Amino acid sequence: SRRKRARARHKPCALKELEVSVSELGLGYESDETVLFRYCSGTCEAAVRSYDLSLKSMRSRRKIKKEKVRARPCCRPLAYDDDVSFLDAYNRYYTVNELSAKECGCV
Amino acid sequence: DEILRSLAGPPSPPGQDPHGWRVPVDCVRANELCAAEPSCSSRYRTLRQCLAGRDRNTMLANKECQAALEVLQESPLYDCRCKRGMKKELQCLQIYWSIHLGLTEGEEFYEASPYEPVTSRLSDIFRLASIFSGMDPTTNSKSNHCLDAAKACNLNDNCKRLRSGYISTCSKEISATEHCSRRKCHKALRQFFDRVPSEYTYRLLFCSCKDQACAERRRQTIVPSCSYEDKEKPNCLDLRNTCRTDHLCRSRLADFHANCQASFQSLTSCPGDNYQACLGSYAGLIGFDMTPNYVDASTTSITISPWCSCKGSGNMEEECEKFLRDFTENPCLRNAIQAFGNGTDVNLSPKNPSPPVTLLPKTEKSPALPDDINDSNTMYDTSVITTCTSVQEHGSKLNKSKEQSLCYSETQLTTDIMPDQKTFVDQKAGGSRHWAGRILPVVPILLLKLAL
Repeated sequence: SRRKRARARHKPCALKELEVSVSELGLGYESDETVLFRYCSGTCEAAVRSYDLSLKSMRSRRKIKKEKVRARPCCRPLAYDDDVSFLDAYNRYYTVNELSAKECGCV
Repeated sequence: DEILRSLAGPPSPPGQDPHGWRVPVDCVRANELCAAEPSCSSRYRTLRQCLAGRDRNTMLANKECQAALEVLQESPLYDCRCKRGMKKELQCLQIYWSIHLGLTEGEEFYEASPYEPVTSRLSDIFRLASIFSGMDPTTNSKSNHCLDAAKACNLNDNCKRLRSGYISTCSKEISATEHCSRRKCHKALRQFFDRVPSEYTYRLLFCSCKDQACAERRRQTIVPSCSYEDKEKPNCLDLRNTCRTDHLCRSRLADFHANCQASFQSLTSCPGDNYQACLGSYAGLIGFDMTPNYVDASTTSITISPWCSCKGSGNMEEECEKFLRDFTENPCLRNAIQAFGNGTDVNLSPKNPSPPVTLLPKTEKSPALPDDINDSNTMYDTSVITTCTSVQEHGSKLNKSKEQSLCYSETQLTTDIMPDQKTFVDQKAGGSRHWAGRILPVVPILLLKLAL
């Protein structure tokens, strides 16, 4: 099962989804309504560019010292889902935009 | 296979189905057929000119107009119909009313519906709804059905997008004085009810509730602060006139009257015992001037009304009250909503071979009909017929109260999905004994009719 876990951690970047209540989103809304939360998860090993390799090299040669740089691509949303509306516990409607990912990529 | 039968059946004239009804052509198509025929198209052009900006009487005073109308009654335009949400629906309805406004006696209380009759039944939706309930393992007696309906919608991309579309439009503040754009809100609501399948929309609109939070959520479904409520409540007949100036609103209202009109010929109080048709034409009114809604968050009694009252009706008070009662005290609409909430539907042609006669209540020989049984108005005024949600649950409560109740046994109303749901007829305290005494003998007769 350790192998299985390792393989799961090395899945390539892709869209995943969870059914969660609006309250669980942690945005400060109080509502029992369930929404579909889509997010990006996975590794980006295959997407390493010359840019990342060179940046890593600059850092190891101490040509870049104080700045915060990221020398690895990151699995992030490329596009966000449509708005989501819900009724809260006080019978007020709210609409949240860019809540869910629609498309993922290594950027 | 109805088409096949009508083709095979030799005695029925063309365009008629085996039951003798003419199969309606849609009006856009009928218009095309008419346009291909020079005599029809010229008469139709004449009639349209006649009707433009004139009322029926001045139009009919013109001999040319009268002749055009007579000829067109023989054309396919005469009994053409439209479909809800069809392509070119407005064009279809314009063609329909261009003929029918000339045919009707001016302002009639009930107008014929320009829409094709609905043949599907609620059961078709229940079958789909049961798929949703199957995916939700947390469903129990405590669950809030309106919340479940919102969940089902949120998990479907199309439903979520269009729901969020009308919610954001209807709750968007325009300015300090203008609370929202009612016009845009209505449009977004119409899109939602036209483009989202009814297994989602009906669940949101007609969910059954056991507590106030649920009932308030149900009342809030259409964002009533924007789509429904207004600073003033207009007179219902004025509202009806406003609605009738718009072809779409007029058609939807006529359709509501055709499918939800309380009928005392049927067990369910609905025309043809068709709940689906009534709920569909109710939902079809949302997003128009006649938008109906739940008037409060009561869990025990469902009261529906458009945003209007009968104040200031003058000598039309009676007509106004009659119009309003088709919403507020309509046993067909109420039964349809409750049947949907409970997951029950009347199945008049049971697929199981055992005939539903076996469990008829043990009554003496069916007595003759009382003389006044056809006097639907008196029954209408004094009775409220509702559907029994669950006998075990309400039984004790009802016995304690003064309400008289009567439940049909389950085989009389053959239910589709939840066979232990039963239907009863109850009514509010006043004059119940008198009424119950009159309806009781009728029940076996109605049931015998159904069994045959």
